[in-house]
Amino acid sequence: MTVFKAYLKVLNKNKALVILYTAILICFAGFNMKTNDIGSFRVEKPKVLIVNQDENYGITASLIQYITKNSTIVKIKENDSSQNDALFYRDVSYIIYLPKNFRNDFLSGKSPKIEVKSTGDYNASLASMMLERYLKVASTYLKIEKNEVSMIKMIDETLDHQVDIEMTSKLDSDHLMKVANFYNFANYSLLAGCVFVICFVIASFKDEKIQQRTMVSSLNMKKYNQQLLFANGLFAFTLWILYVLLSFLLVGNSMFDFHGLLFMMNSFVFMVVALTFALLIGSVVRNKEAIGGIVNVVALGSSFLCGAFVPMEWLPDFVLKIAHVLPSYYYISNNNFISKLEPFGSLNPMIFNIVVLLLFGVIFIIITNIVSKRK
Amino acid sequence: MKKIIEVKNLTKEYKGLKAVNDLSFEVYSGEILGLLGPNGSGKSTTINCLLSLLKFQTGSIQIFGMNMSPTAYEIKKQIGVVFQEVAVFQELTVVQNIDYFCGLYVRDEKIRSKYVEEAIQLVGLDDFKKFYPKQLSGGLLRRLNIACGIAHKPKLIFLDEPTVAVDPQSRNHILDGIKQLRKEGATIIYTTHYMEEVEILCDRVIILDKGKIIASGTIEELKQLAKIEEKVSVEIEQLGAEKLEEMKGFKNVDDVKYVDGILVITYQKGKNNLIHFIDYLKKENLQYNKIYSERPTLNDVFLELTGKELRD
Repeated sequence: MTVFKAYLKVLNKNKALVILYTAILICFAGFNMKTNDIGSFRVEKPKVLIVNQDENYGITASLIQYITKNSTIVKIKENDSSQNDALFYRDVSYIIYLPKNFRNDFLSGKSPKIEVKSTGDYNASLASMMLERYLKVASTYLKIEKNEVSMIKMIDETLDHQVDIEMTSKLDSDHLMKVANFYNFANYSLLAGCVFVICFVIASFKDEKIQQRTMVSSLNMKKYNQQLLFANGLFAFTLWILYVLLSFLLVGNSMFDFHGLLFMMNSFVFMVVALTFALLIGSVVRNKEAIGGIVNVVALGSSFLCGAFVPMEWLPDFVLKIAHVLPSYYYISNNNFISKLEPFGSLNPMIFNIVVLLLFGVIFIIITNIVSKRK
Repeated sequence: MKKIIEVKNLTKEYKGLKAVNDLSFEVYSGEILGLLGPNGSGKSTTINCLLSLLKFQTGSIQIFGMNMSPTAYEIKKQIGVVFQEVAVFQELTVVQNIDYFCGLYVRDEKIRSKYVEEAIQLVGLDDFKKFYPKQLSGGLLRRLNIACGIAHKPKLIFLDEPTVAVDPQSRNHILDGIKQLRKEGATIIYTTHYMEEVEILCDRVIILDKGKIIASGTIEELKQLAKIEEKVSVEIEQLGAEKLEEMKGFKNVDDVKYVDGILVITYQKGKNNLIHFIDYLKKENLQYNKIYSERPTLNDVFLELTGKELRD
């Protein structure tokens, strides 16, 4: 095992690279843990300012009460520049100007014009929907009830009506999304880590003069290549184990179920593909300076194109079409698929992607053999 | 003496050009054979064929009585190679490098550890065991390169210009090491551009040119091939052209050259050439400083045979 032991010693000198890519993964994943809340719902209250030029009475008071109940009312000086500043700095999302005689005009069936100012963001949309909802309900009841007090009562009852929604999905989608994101980020670290380190070590062993020295030695070249392959495989496997352990540490519970197993399985297959790709690059490129450039192009490029850093849904169609020729696309598609997979759901799309990934691995091995024989 | 290497009618062609042309020679046990030749003469190609790093068109190579091939591991076990260019791992220390290359031949860790230690002592790297190659000077690197090639105690060693670009201290260490290896019974094939090393080390020399052996034998035998027998050099400050012409007419004189105040007269066979020449200088009242006579060197032979200096 002389070659294997020497491999470990050479690898030890390149451990900084492994640490670097692991640190990048931890940073990405840590950031994701803090900011991502994709699958859960919570009630949002927009910040609203109501400038009432009418009397706070009757239907006007009812409208103000409804808005107040469902939003956060902010107080801002009643002049244009202060209100514009507040909108600019997002201190308020929506300003409602209730005009003079709003109550009378509304009750007499006219449609009083309500001026608004908005930041245009989703909080403002929420406030706008709230205002619209009240006015629509009020207009409906105005047609059937002329008594203002009774009408307000009916409006309140309608608007207070709550519907309980039960999610049929038993998925902890928030957590699963985080796991998927972790494994999507791992696309970069696993690919870059494997290619960089394996190519660096291979470049040392396959240095022309060292290779000559090995060829004139009494060591069987078949055994030599087997030891190198075993060492490379062991390194890739260890890197995968490290990242799986990290996923357990960072996302915990979600890894202890069927979904966790699928994530691990998918990443294992991707690790095998990354290993075969690293062996291919290692057989073509012997220049250590060039390896860094290739890693950046391949690992960063495929991560961006295939949606490792941004959700696939955000990527333009033409980018996704290009991504189809990269293994990362199928790996990341699988991660996204697993995060949405219902219990007892069909695994066929995932199996298809895994077969495609394995085909990539086979192609890389065939090309490596052709290149090595030619050399 | 026992034959260690037997090469018969070896021919290696590159795209129709014969780099080695019908070469036949033997190497005997315990000798140091110098393989000399100008650049492109076929030395490296011959060695690469001997080591099965290159396929050849015709001929046969037997080492230790067996046919040499890429899978002749029994033969390879007994061969050590020191390539001209340093071939070591930058990521491994001196001792780790020697241990690795020794480990390609010797599996037993205890024996290997002993061999590594002995190789380190042989090349004088005791104080640098834990140094990385980039921390070593050029000379120390060459010594490490040698240690990596011979640590497994091979019976046949190929040394390809092991002293190129090294400091005198390292060169002496390397030459002493080679002598020590021979004492221990190794057979050595040595290529170099330094003629003085050949004269110090080699028992026999083969001179190659254009892929063919143009001369071979002991150093004395080769020197006898030279048509000149004596070379007289004199420091003379001024010498006219007519005097030079006069000297060319002397008995036994082969050639006369006067460059940068040094007059060199080469003689073919004949006796008392130096005495006659000094008598002439006195008679002509020519003032001279140092004067010395020497036999032709291997370099002169090489120059005569190939028309080139060895370092060309």
